[in-house]
Amino acid sequence: MADLVFDDVSITYSTRSARGDIRAVKDVSLDIPAGGTLGIAGESGSGKSTLIMAPLRLLPDSATVTGRVLLGGEDVADLSFGQMRALRWDAASIVFQGALHSLNPVRTVAWQIMEALSHHTAKSWQTPEARRARMLDLLASVDLAPEHAKAYPHELSGGQKQRVMIAMALACEPDIIIADEPTTALDVIVQEQVLALLTARVAEAGISLVMISHDLSVLAQVCQRIAVMKDGEVIELGSAQQIATAAHHPYTRALADAFPTIGDPASRMRPARRSAAAAAAEPVEPAKPANPAGEGTAAAAKPAASAPEAPTDPVPDAPSRPAPEAPDAAAPDYASAPVLLEAQGLSVTFSARGRRVSAVDDVDFTVREGEIMALVGQSGSGKTTLARTLLGIQEPDRGTRVTFRGEPIPTRGRALKAFRREVQLVLQDPSGSLNPRLSVYEAVAEGLRIHGMDDEARRVAEALEAAELRPAQDFFESIPQELSGGQRQRVVIAGALALGPRLLVADEPVASLDASVRGEILGLFLDLRARLGLSALIITHDLGLAWNIADTVAVMHSGRIVEKGTVDDVLLHPQHDYTKRLIAAAPSLRPLPEGAATGAEAGGGTGHGPAARGSHAAPARDGR
Amino acid sequence: MTALETQVDSAAEAPAGRLGGGFLPYLAGKVGGALISLGMVILLGFFAFRLLPGDPVAKIARERPMSADQIAQLRHEYGLDKPFLAQFWDYIVNVFTGNFGTSYVYKMPVSDLIAQYFWPTILLTGTSAVLAIVLGLWLGQKSAWARGSWFDKIASGSSLVLWSVPTFWLALLLLMLFGGILHWFPTGGMVTANLAPWSGAWLISIVAHLVLPVITLTAVVYAQYLMVMRASLLEEMSADYLTTARAKGLTEDEVRTKHAVPNALLPTVTIVFMHIGGLIAGAVTVEAVFSWPGLGKLTFEAIHGPDLPLLQGTFVVFSAIIIVMNLIADLVYRQLDPRIRRA
Repeated sequence: MADLVFDDVSITYSTRSARGDIRAVKDVSLDIPAGGTLGIAGESGSGKSTLIMAPLRLLPDSATVTGRVLLGGEDVADLSFGQMRALRWDAASIVFQGALHSLNPVRTVAWQIMEALSHHTAKSWQTPEARRARMLDLLASVDLAPEHAKAYPHELSGGQKQRVMIAMALACEPDIIIADEPTTALDVIVQEQVLALLTARVAEAGISLVMISHDLSVLAQVCQRIAVMKDGEVIELGSAQQIATAAHHPYTRALADAFPTIGDPASRMRPARRSAAAAAAEPVEPAKPANPAGEGTAAAAKPAASAPEAPTDPVPDAPSRPAPEAPDAAAPDYASAPVLLEAQGLSVTFSARGRRVSAVDDVDFTVREGEIMALVGQSGSGKTTLARTLLGIQEPDRGTRVTFRGEPIPTRGRALKAFRREVQLVLQDPSGSLNPRLSVYEAVAEGLRIHGMDDEARRVAEALEAAELRPAQDFFESIPQELSGGQRQRVVIAGALALGPRLLVADEPVASLDASVRGEILGLFLDLRARLGLSALIITHDLGLAWNIADTVAVMHSGRIVEKGTVDDVLLHPQHDYTKRLIAAAPSLRPLPEGAATGAEAGGGTGHGPAARGSHAAPARDGR
Repeated sequence: MTALETQVDSAAEAPAGRLGGGFLPYLAGKVGGALISLGMVILLGFFAFRLLPGDPVAKIARERPMSADQIAQLRHEYGLDKPFLAQFWDYIVNVFTGNFGTSYVYKMPVSDLIAQYFWPTILLTGTSAVLAIVLGLWLGQKSAWARGSWFDKIASGSSLVLWSVPTFWLALLLLMLFGGILHWFPTGGMVTANLAPWSGAWLISIVAHLVLPVITLTAVVYAQYLMVMRASLLEEMSADYLTTARAKGLTEDEVRTKHAVPNALLPTVTIVFMHIGGLIAGAVTVEAVFSWPGLGKLTFEAIHGPDLPLLQGTFVVFSAIIIVMNLIADLVYRQLDPRIRRA
């Protein structure tokens, strides 16, 4: 068993550009004793991935490492390349984001696992037959059937690919496994399974685990200790418990707040902003939008029509939530507002080579003016197909009735064009949805030109201001590359707002953004609703997002809406088994106030998240 | 473990979508597409050459004194006095019976001419193609892996220079230098006359005649393969699975040959086969310069005529070769890429 020690490590990338050298990691000292688990949290650019590439010397040639990285007491810088190769995978192996491209697309699972075995032959797998047997054992240990050995990566789901990565990492019985965002692209239920599997295998074999994530709640479930990195430095190091619940550094607290705990009234209708100072600088306080006194009925009207039996307090067992201060009390009175969008019996069937696949199956719902609705489901649940249909991009089956302001959605010509002005789309990845060669002004003005709208400069400026890019003129000439992820998403939203829509359809609007920016963009949706009365249909796999900003939520599973209603009803008192499972699988940082954690009961545990419930994960926690 | 296993249900993880189907439907689809392309080529073959300037009968009439009756007779023989649509119908019927008519110049059936000139062209272009592909792909992957090195600069640079050189100019240069001045290789034709077919001397003579045309043709086309392979491998070089492979303890050579190159080959294969069309265009020039008795030279002479039936014949044959190459590219790609083969 080997310790991993980072002793005053700095890593500098030399660049040829005018920016000069980049210090990605600055004076980091960390140690992971044999059998220990350490989480490294941080946002993109914090240097966390650079740091964990150092022990196996996998950094590009442009990187210079100073300080010492000790693997089993030996400084890895002193090893010859041959010694280093022998150490790779044998002493320490890596689990990359397997859901993406970490497996070779043209090699089978068996080939890739056996390749690792044949490079580090131990006594027990010297012959090809023994290697094949071990490969099948490894697949079995990550709950994959022997048939999967013959599969190519594209034939596996994201979770299965991640299992293959874990099996491969375990192959040569390493002392340390380094996991780099191992569950980032996975849905919550699959994430829970993969995390439980990883922790169980690691605990069984006494392997040390270093895990990197941007999501503190994931690390809190798996690791004993957590280091928080920002701008290349470790700013806080402590036990998982302390970091999650009693962080000293304000940045750590901001990271922790970014992902809300479902049922926690503090985060309801109040997504975490980057800092209090930033929030104070906002001209409009989005959590408590200015609301004319005449709309005092809002609080009473909060329970939606679907829950008439709960007339006053939708959360009777959450006494910690004082009604007068509930921020959503000031939300516009959507429940009695006219229906904006309505779908009845919406079905979409794809037929491919004679087979008919039902992507969306007999779905009914309404979105009222000023309502923010979250459509929650896993990948493959049909939620994106549903959104495409509502936008008139995908044609629904016959017998489907989708109306906008009482009129059927037009399918062609001028009417469709006019409809698209009213319903605008915001996509997940702002880097992909913005043309890299267009300036911000051009990107926002493009829609205006397509629709032949006059007074372009004023409308562009107004849209940028509405998306909180102020002063708008400063951003006109910027190109997407010069903007941060959050600013880019604001430009996308401004492009949608410029056309004066009534409904925004947003497909995972914050999934590709850093934790600290997430709250800003979610706050913007609340803000736009308060100021412009905009409705939003937000498609997401993230229940916390729904808890953060949505009025109503519809849970989609296998093409059907299995449950819908107000956020309080659905997330705190889930009826359908699938909803209960989703809520139970969502990682959470801290225990909820007594009684508020109704959702977690579905898991049959005490509501601390899966690690506390799953028996496999117990050793990782108890070992502290 | 049972708790975990029960959690893994089909609903939690939708398996990756399976596109495509069996091999036979795929083959049928691709062959059908190829046949449609061939049909379009046959149609085009008729119309394109009737739009060419120059009247073949007038050309023949200019070369020897002919009476008006004789000219009319000639038009009748060639079927050129018939209405346009009737000519078209005759053409279609003839093509489907393998009859491309009689060459105006050679006075023999076009199908016989093509059969006679076909194999020399296959020998020349086939040899050049194999050499160019091997050389291009090998240099391309070496260059990409050592990007920015002297090897890369010299290999990419010289290939681009050769690619930019006009084919006929390079052919004439080689012909003058190695044929005319140094007398290392014969200057034209395919084989020295009066040698017994398939004898050793006959074979050596063919190889000697082959050297200069093959060098010319290879030199002007291999840059395309080099560049495609280089770009394709450069794209793969930042892929995450290569980091996985390195982390497993593979040497750089193993990372390149076992992981990067098989993936980089995929986009290359399609382009390699598509560029065989360019090879055939080069063959017309090279065969003309080296008097190689192939379809390229035949085409060159047919354009001079204009020998309409011969042009139509060579056009259809060349097009068919390219269509077949594209079909092979599709089939090979399917075998190489599991995402298409089994997806």
